[in-house]
Amino acid sequence: MVIEEENQNIEQLIRELARKLLEEKQVDVIIGYAKGTVPLSSAPIVIDKVEDVDKLIWNNLCYINLAKYLVPRIPQFTDPEKGDLKVGIVSKGCVGRALIHLSVEQQLDLNNIKIIGIPCNGIINRKKIEKEIGEREILELSVSGDNIVVKGRDFEQTLPFDEYENELCKVCKVKSPPTIADICIGECLENPVIMDDFTDVADFDSKTPDEKWEYVKSLLEPCTRCYACREACPMCYCNLCFVDQNKPVWFGKTTELSDIIIFHLIRALHMAGRCVACGACSSVCPMGIDLTFITRSLEKIAKERYGFTSGIDPKTLPPMMAFDMDDEQEFMLEED
Amino acid sequence: MGEKLLNKSDIGKLINELGKEYSIYAATNDKQGNIIFDKIEKAEDILLDYLNSKIPPKSVLFPKVETLFEYEIKDDDIEITNPKDLYEKRIIFGIRPCDAYSFQLFENFFGYGQFKDELFKTKKENTILFGIGCNLPRQTCFCTSVEGHPHKKDDVDVFLVDLGDKYLVESISEKGKNIVQKLSWLSNTTEADIQKAKELSKLAEESMSTKIDIKKVIKIFQENFDNPIWDDISMSCIGCGSCTLLCPTCHCFDVIDENDPMSKKGRRIRLWDTCQSSIYTLETSGHNPRPNKVQRFRNRILHKFCYYPTNYDLIGCVGCGRCINICPVNNDLRNIFNSILKIEKKEEVKVV
Repeated sequence: MVIEEENQNIEQLIRELARKLLEEKQVDVIIGYAKGTVPLSSAPIVIDKVEDVDKLIWNNLCYINLAKYLVPRIPQFTDPEKGDLKVGIVSKGCVGRALIHLSVEQQLDLNNIKIIGIPCNGIINRKKIEKEIGEREILELSVSGDNIVVKGRDFEQTLPFDEYENELCKVCKVKSPPTIADICIGECLENPVIMDDFTDVADFDSKTPDEKWEYVKSLLEPCTRCYACREACPMCYCNLCFVDQNKPVWFGKTTELSDIIIFHLIRALHMAGRCVACGACSSVCPMGIDLTFITRSLEKIAKERYGFTSGIDPKTLPPMMAFDMDDEQEFMLEED
Repeated sequence: MGEKLLNKSDIGKLINELGKEYSIYAATNDKQGNIIFDKIEKAEDILLDYLNSKIPPKSVLFPKVETLFEYEIKDDDIEITNPKDLYEKRIIFGIRPCDAYSFQLFENFFGYGQFKDELFKTKKENTILFGIGCNLPRQTCFCTSVEGHPHKKDDVDVFLVDLGDKYLVESISEKGKNIVQKLSWLSNTTEADIQKAKELSKLAEESMSTKIDIKKVIKIFQENFDNPIWDDISMSCIGCGSCTLLCPTCHCFDVIDENDPMSKKGRRIRLWDTCQSSIYTLETSGHNPRPNKVQRFRNRILHKFCYYPTNYDLIGCVGCGRCINICPVNNDLRNIFNSILKIEKKEEVKVV
């Protein structure tokens, strides 16, 4: 019963807060999640009327990071007369982190938004479920007790939630968004202290360079370069992505392995100290590529080298935006 | 008449025999377990009992990356190498009727007017399609709404129907007849087998849960290019290209020259492109006629349901439902239809 009850409570919380914000005119519009039309999905939705609050839902398939819709702002968030509208945004921990980090990068004015904090209870790894079920059509997915129940025409399969949760959610320490005064309502975390041992990436880290190369090759091979990972990533907001640069061309545009790998690895470099570990990139990949090892490795490096965790404190500059005389620079060649 | 029976246990035998003369392309797993159409080395790798492939079989005749020619500069001469696999004799085995129909649509685009795409044309001419009927269409399938059918045979050379432990093999085209004739070991059918295939076809049609009045949809699209509803229905779209890249009818490509000045070698390639990309319409001047997401989103929909019907009198969609299943933000094509069908109702009210 645990997860189901939690889901109901979170959904209730979202609707109550959304109603309050709209009724009191604290916000003009609210962005949240609506029920999806296919079993392993949810759909982002924008509402501006109190009577629509019941369209907002919460379940363990709300994998999209809604911060994406604020940078850049979608047309629904701007009024021809009023200008920028005040937006309420349903925020699980990683959405809150993305909003905070985007404000640090000066892409977002936090005073323009209202964070509706909710205690996320984990997102389902839909690719893993698809793989498990294989070529049988999934018609219904529900959470019952501590299990995920998948139903089809002539089968019903029960899978333990713990195992089929996103890898990033399993190790997530920021289930609710960190609090910022006057911006947040609902359930938020007061000064979260992140203790993370990164044991989940130890396995990848312990591989030899050759093994890592093999792993990366077989992981990325199916990529079609649809860029769903980039488009779903709240931190990918460049007007022109390096990979789209064509005057002159910077990187090969084919789906040959070398071009795919260079795209993913350079995108990863751009995420160092910025990734908020929401896992949207992996959740949206149509080819089922799980980029968790990249995002977690980046988090680990930012934490170990700079003691930094992105999206926690709106006042601390991320390591790649700041310079300190004491920064380690062992890569510099010294005389003698 | 033209029908034969193939025991499922004889698939390996069939593939080995056909494989002597043809390269066999069929549904198989990629390294992440996605189903794709690829060249088959071993008959065991072939998947026949699948819902539908993640990447449509367009990839066989119109690959993600295709070399148009390679060149090498030698002293004062340039040596040009043409693609080697152009005349490869291929069989696409186990293609679904919707995907087979997409090749018919491709032929309009690649063979339109005086400019014919020799690459696609030659490959298609050297390819034999072994189709397989869908006995259990998915909830997201809607081929019957777009002039298709789960057991449509017109677009393949040989058509298979899964009868449980065996396949009914029907040769459709001349090419198909010739190849089936050579397979003399196929057993004969009984009236009961043919009857069962007909029943399965009917059952499959009846099980289609999505039905769309496509004529009405096309008419409304044609009249509502500027309707503000496009802002609403494109709201959640994040602008990735998965719907187009994995669409069996999307045929847009980009042509790129890659050269290596050091080795004095290079190649001209074409790659799948997507109208959802912001640089798709970017002109050299810097002007972009489709600068925003809503315009790109609208182009994808209208190309299939407005421009294609206008140009070729055909619908540019085969109803496979891939875009519905893979859209990261669940921007369901069926919801788009429902939203635009509401436009008409409002206008009718106004007129009355």
